[in-house]
Amino acid sequence: MAALQEKKSCSQRMEEFRHYCWNPDTGQMLGRTLSRWVWISLYYVAFYVVMTGLFALCIYVLMQTIDPYTPDYQDQLKSPGVTLRPDVYGEKGLEIHYNISDNRTWTSLTHTLRSFLAGYSPAAQVDNINCTSKTYFFQESFGAPNHTKFSCKFTADMLENCSGLTDPSFGFKEGKPCFIIKMNRIVRFLPSNSTPPRVDCTFLDMPHQALTPLQVEYYPPNGTFSLHYFPYYGKKAQPHYSNPLVAAKLLNVPTNTEVVVLCKILADHVTFDNPHDPYEGKVEFKLKIQK
Amino acid sequence: MAGGAHRGGGRWGAPHSPAPPGPRGCPVPLKAAAQSLCRKPTWGQYCTLLLFQRKLEIYSVEHHAATDIKKKEGRDGKKDNDLELKRNQQKEELKKELDLDVSLQFAFVLFVFQGLSSTRAAELLAQNGPNALTPPKQTPEIIKFLKQMVGGFSILLWVGAVLCWIAFGIQYVSNPSASLDSVYLGTVLAVVVILTGIFAYYQEAKSTNIMASFCKMIPQQAVVIRDSEKKVIPAEQLVVGDIVEIKGGDQIPADIRLLSAQGCKVDNSSLTGESEPQSRSSEFTHENPLETKNITFYSTTCQRVFRCTATGMVINTGDRTIIGRIASLASGVGNEKTPIAIEIEHFVHIVAGVAVSVGILFFIIAVCMKYHVLDAIIFLIAIIVANVPEGLLATVTVALSLTAKRMAKKNCLVKNLEAVETLGSTSIICSDKTGTLTQNRMTVAHLWFDNQIFVADTSEDNLNQGFDQSSGTWTSLSKIIALCNRAEFKPGQESVPIMKRVVVGDASETALLKFSEVILGDVMEIRKRNHKVVEIPFNSTNKFQLSIHQTEDPNDKRFLLVMKGAPERILEKCSTIMINGKEQPLDKSMAQAFHTAYMELGGLGERVLGFCHFYLPADEFPETYSFDSESMNFPTSNLCFVGLLSMIDPPRSTVPDAVTKCRSAGIKVIMVTGDHPITAKAIAKSVGIISANSETVEDIAKRCNIAVEQVNKRDAKAAVVTGMELKDMSPEQLDELLANYPEIVFARTSPQQKLIIVEGCQRQDAVVAVTGDGVNDSPALKKADIGVAMGITGSDAAKNAADMILLDDNFSSIVTGVEEGRLIFDNLKKTIAYTLTKNIAELCPFLIYIILGLPLPIGTITLLFIDLGTDIIPSIALAYEKAESDIMNRKPRHKKKDRLVNQQLAVYSYLHIGLMQALGAFLVYFTVYAQQGFRPTSLFHLRIAWDSDHLNDLEDNYGQEWTSYQRQYLEWTGYTAFFVGIMVQQIADLIIRKTRKNSIFKQGLFRNKVIWVGIASQIIVALLLSYGLGSITALNFTMLKAQYWFVAVPHAILIWVYDEMRKLFIRLYPGSWWDKNMYY
Repeated sequence: MAALQEKKSCSQRMEEFRHYCWNPDTGQMLGRTLSRWVWISLYYVAFYVVMTGLFALCIYVLMQTIDPYTPDYQDQLKSPGVTLRPDVYGEKGLEIHYNISDNRTWTSLTHTLRSFLAGYSPAAQVDNINCTSKTYFFQESFGAPNHTKFSCKFTADMLENCSGLTDPSFGFKEGKPCFIIKMNRIVRFLPSNSTPPRVDCTFLDMPHQALTPLQVEYYPPNGTFSLHYFPYYGKKAQPHYSNPLVAAKLLNVPTNTEVVVLCKILADHVTFDNPHDPYEGKVEFKLKIQK
Repeated sequence: MAGGAHRGGGRWGAPHSPAPPGPRGCPVPLKAAAQSLCRKPTWGQYCTLLLFQRKLEIYSVEHHAATDIKKKEGRDGKKDNDLELKRNQQKEELKKELDLDVSLQFAFVLFVFQGLSSTRAAELLAQNGPNALTPPKQTPEIIKFLKQMVGGFSILLWVGAVLCWIAFGIQYVSNPSASLDSVYLGTVLAVVVILTGIFAYYQEAKSTNIMASFCKMIPQQAVVIRDSEKKVIPAEQLVVGDIVEIKGGDQIPADIRLLSAQGCKVDNSSLTGESEPQSRSSEFTHENPLETKNITFYSTTCQRVFRCTATGMVINTGDRTIIGRIASLASGVGNEKTPIAIEIEHFVHIVAGVAVSVGILFFIIAVCMKYHVLDAIIFLIAIIVANVPEGLLATVTVALSLTAKRMAKKNCLVKNLEAVETLGSTSIICSDKTGTLTQNRMTVAHLWFDNQIFVADTSEDNLNQGFDQSSGTWTSLSKIIALCNRAEFKPGQESVPIMKRVVVGDASETALLKFSEVILGDVMEIRKRNHKVVEIPFNSTNKFQLSIHQTEDPNDKRFLLVMKGAPERILEKCSTIMINGKEQPLDKSMAQAFHTAYMELGGLGERVLGFCHFYLPADEFPETYSFDSESMNFPTSNLCFVGLLSMIDPPRSTVPDAVTKCRSAGIKVIMVTGDHPITAKAIAKSVGIISANSETVEDIAKRCNIAVEQVNKRDAKAAVVTGMELKDMSPEQLDELLANYPEIVFARTSPQQKLIIVEGCQRQDAVVAVTGDGVNDSPALKKADIGVAMGITGSDAAKNAADMILLDDNFSSIVTGVEEGRLIFDNLKKTIAYTLTKNIAELCPFLIYIILGLPLPIGTITLLFIDLGTDIIPSIALAYEKAESDIMNRKPRHKKKDRLVNQQLAVYSYLHIGLMQALGAFLVYFTVYAQQGFRPTSLFHLRIAWDSDHLNDLEDNYGQEWTSYQRQYLEWTGYTAFFVGIMVQQIADLIIRKTRKNSIFKQGLFRNKVIWVGIASQIIVALLLSYGLGSITALNFTMLKAQYWFVAVPHAILIWVYDEMRKLFIRLYPGSWWDKNMYY
C-alpha cells in the first residue's frame, strides 16, 4: 500500500488539479468534454423539469382537495388564543411599563391602541350589519353580496371610556389604563353553549405582595363577547369580519410596583390551562405604573 | 534428508580457542579446566556443553540448496558443469547471506548430571527474562477508544457540538433567559458521538477478544535437570545453560544444542517449510546453525517417533531464539491501512467536504441575508448534522462484523474487522506450500511394478485406491510394505478413520502404514501372523531397512527377507525382478525401465522408495536359525526387486478447485515456499498454480533442446524462481518478473525474500494476500495487505502476524473469504448509497428555510432520529443482500480506480434519488400545512412572523389566528410529517438499493428477509416516535394523522420506477453514456 501513501508535493497537486480543470489532450473540462457537459446538463434540466412538473402537479391536486371556506383540520386550534393591546414584550412576555408624569412613556402605548382601533371605525365597518341577537349568528347560506356571509359590526364606540373617543389617553394619564383584549378567530368556533364568553382580569397572586383585589371596568359591559359574532365563517365567507373586543380599564393599579395581571376568557369551550401555551384562553402581562 | 554434511570449521561441534570473557563469562581457570576435560575422550561427549553467544543477523533457510543439487546429481548423472559452478556459487551465497558472527564463548561448563543450580538459574532468569516471546506491542485500550471518539465524522460532530455551546454562551451573555435549545442540540450531538464511539469500540474489542481466547496456549512444561535432580518446570522458566530432556511428541521448549539423542526427528516445517521431518543427533554436521543436526529450535516439534529421547542444553531462550528473531522481524514490519479503511476515509472526506462546504456557503449566504450571526451558526450546525450520516460508521462496523461472523462459521476467523473486505479486493495471493496447499503429511502417490506406473489416491480420506491389485507382484509388494515397517498405530483408535489415526513412527513409514492399512486391512494382524525374526532399522549410511519374517503359510518354512530403501541402493542388491508375480532376471532393459520410472517419479517431486524381497532357502536357514543384525549372517544381495513406491506431501483435494476459482476471479496465485524447486513445481502443477499447458523457460529449453538463454522469455507463461536467483534480482527485475509471468513459483525462499516478494507485488498496485503457517512466513504475513495463517498447523508467530486465520487450514476457505469480501464491498456500497440519499432530503429543508423563509420543515433533533433511528437496521439489512451476479467471475477491484464511493454513487444518491425524496417529503409537509390552514404559497417568507414569539395572532389563509405555541406545535407536526415522508421514501430507497444493475424482481423481493425486518423496524420506530412519544414535547414529535403516512407513497413508487428504468438502460446499453453516468 506504499503507493497509496505517497505524499504528493503541493505543486504536483496543483498541476493535477489544473489538469483536471482543463485537459488539453482530451479536451476535457472538469472531467468531461464540452459536448459531454452539454448532454449531462440537458439530462439534468430535463430530469428536474419533469420532477418539478410532477411536484407542481401534486401541489395542484392538493389545492384542489382543499375546501376554500373551512380548513380540513382544526385539531391544533381547539381553543382560541388571546392577545392584548397595547402589546409591548419584555424578556419574558408582555411588559407594560410607563410613567404617568412622562407622557412620552405612554403616548406610544395609546398610539398602538388608536391604530389598532382604526379598524373598528364606523367607516371601516360599513359593510357589516348591526346585530342585536344574544345568540349565535348561524348562516348556512351565502346571503351577503358577492357570495359572502354577513358579519356583525363591532365599532370602537362600543368600548365607551376605552374607545379613545372620550378619553384620548385611554386612562393612562390618570393611572387607570385601558387594555384591549382580543380573542383569536377560529373558523366555526363556538365558544360556549349559551352564555357569552366573558373576560375576567385579576392580579396574579405574587408572594410578598398583599394586594387588594383588582377592580376592573369592562367595556362592553360585563366584559362579554356577544354570541352573535360567532361562529366565524372564514376569510372568504366573511371578508369584513372583525373580532369582537373587550376593553378592561384597571382602576386600582398600585403605582411604583410591578404587578402581574391575568385576563382569562371564561367560556365553556375556551380553555386556559394549557401548560405549554401562555396565550391560550388567557393573557398575562406585567404592569408597572410610575408616578 | 541425508548427506550434505560439511564437516569444516567445527564451530558447533568441537571446542574452541577461548574467546575473551563475555559479560557473563566465567573465570578463565574454569575454561581451561573445561578444555583439559575435553581432551579426555570420556568427556569429549560433554564438551559441547557450551554456552554459545552468537549474533544471527539474518536468517536463511537456504541450507538445503546444496544437498538438493547433490540429490539431483545422484539421480541424473548427466548434469553438467554449469551446475557444479552453480553449486559453488550457491555455497558462497549461502555464506554471504547467513552472515553469521558465531562467536562462541565458554561461559560455564557443567555436567549434564548436575544441571544448573536453582540459584544460578534464578539469576539467569532475572538477567535474561523468561523464555517466552515478547507479545507484539498492543495499543493501549484508552488510545483505541479515543481513536474511535475522534475518528471519521466524530470530529465534525464534536465541532458542531462545541459550536452549539459557544452559540449558547454568546446568547447567554447578551440575554440570560436565552433558550436552551442549542445546549440540548450540542449535548445530543456529543452523546451521539460518544455512543457511536463506544459502540464501534465494543465491536472492535469483541472481535479482538475472540482472537485473544484463541491464542491462549496451554502452558508448556519442560523436563529440566537442576540441582542434580529432574524437575518439571514451566518452559517459560528455562534459562540458558539448562539441561533439558525431550521425548517424542514434545514441543522443543527453547533453542537447544543436543548432547545425546536417539532416533529423533524434528518437524522444522514451521521454520523452514520442509514437510519432511529432519533427523537430529548429537553430531555436529554443518556450520549453518539451521542445518546442523545437533541443534533443535524453539517451537518446533519432536516427532512422535518410537523411543525418541534426547538431552540437550538450552543455548538461547525467548526472543533470542531463531523463532524469536523472526518474530521480531515480523513486528518490525509496519501495519498498513486496510483497503476498506482507505475507502471509508475517502468516503468520510467526500461527505465531510460536502457538509463543510455547503455549511460554510450557506453560512455566508445567511450572513449576507442579514441573519443574525448566531442564527447563521445554528444553520451551519444544522447543515452539518443533516449532511453527516451519524449512524453510518457504526453500521459499517456492524456489517463488517456480521460478515466476520459468517466467515468464522466457514472457518475463516478474522482478527481485524477491516480485513474482512481485504480478501475481496485481493489481486495476488502469495501462498505458502506446506500445510496450506498440501496436507503436510507424506502420502503414497505412485507405485511402479510390473513395469507400469500406478496412481494411488492422495485425497484426504485416501479410501479410493483404484489401481489394479490383481497382479502377483502387488501381493508381494504389499506384503513388503506392510512388514518392512516399524510404524504402529497408537492403540485404542479403532473407531477413528485410518487417515486420522495417530501413528508412532516417521512420516514415510506412517504413510506406508496407512496406505497398507487402507488396502490390506489390519496390518498389525498381518505382522503378527508374519512374526518378525530380526530387523535392521534405517540409517543414513546403508540407506535401507530390512527385516526377516516367518511366513504366515504354515507349510512354507522359509523365512521372508523384506527390504526397502533408496531405489538405487535396493536395485544394486537385486539380481532378479518380479514381473506379474514371476521372478525374471534383471537385465539391462529392465534396469533402464527402472531408471525411467525412477526419474519420472523423482521428477514429480516425490520421494521414491524401492522394495525388494527374498525367500531365504529353507535348507540353509532352518526354523531354528539364529539371525544376527550386527553380523548380518544372511544374504543381502541377489534379491528380487519388486517395485517402487513414491510418496509426496499431496495437495489438499480442495486446493485445485480453489486455485481455479481464484483464477477465474482474476486473482493471481503465486507459490512462495522454502521447499525445493522440484517439489514446489510439482505441487504447483498438481494444484494448478502452474496450469497444465504452460511451460517455464527451462521446460521450453528442454523440449526444444536448446540452451535456456536462447529461449524467448515471452513464450513462457510460468516461472520457477529460487531464492538464489531472487537474490541477484534488482527490484526492477522482480517487478518485470511479477508483471510478465502469470504463473510464478518461488522456491527456497528465506523469510526476507518472502517479504521482498510481497513488496514487489505491492509495487504492482496489487492487494496482496499471504498465506502461511510457519514462523518463517510471519514477516510476510505482517507485510501483506492481508495475512492468512493456518489455524491448526499454524505457529503462534504466524497467527499473531496474520489478519485472518483459517481454522480448518483449508486453502479453499480463502475463496470463501474472497467471495465474502467482494460481497461486503458491494453491500457496503449499497448501504452507503442508501444512507447518503436521505442527506439531501435532510439538507434541503434548511436551505429552503434560509433562502425562502418557510417555517422550518424538519428539526435537527428529528434528523438524528432518522439517522440513528429508522435508518439503522435497514442499512445493516443490506449487508445480508445476496450477490447480484457471479462476483467470482470478475476481476478484483483496482484499489485506486474502483472506489467504494465514486462520483456516480454520490451524484445519483444526492442529485437523483435524494432530490426526489426531498420533493416527496416537502409534499407531505405542504399537505399538513395546507390542511391546517396555511397554503403553500402563503408559507414563503413567513419565517420571521412565524418564528416570532411575540406574535400571537398570526393569520392563516382562512383568517384564523394562531398563537406562537399553536404555530410551534404545527411546526412539530410538520417535522413529523417530513420525517414520515423521508421514512416512507427510504423504504423505497432500501428496496431499490438491493441491486445495482439487476431488476429487483430478478434479485427477488423476499429473498433477503432481513430487508423486511429493516422495513418493519423503520415503520415501528416511526410509529413509536409519532404515537408513543408524540406527547413528549422535547422530542418535537406529534401524533400524525394516519393519512399523512401515505402522502409520500406515490413518490416512493416513483423512486422505484425511476431506478428500475435506470437499471434497465444499464443492462440494455452496457458501456453507453447512461451506463457510465448512472452505474455506481
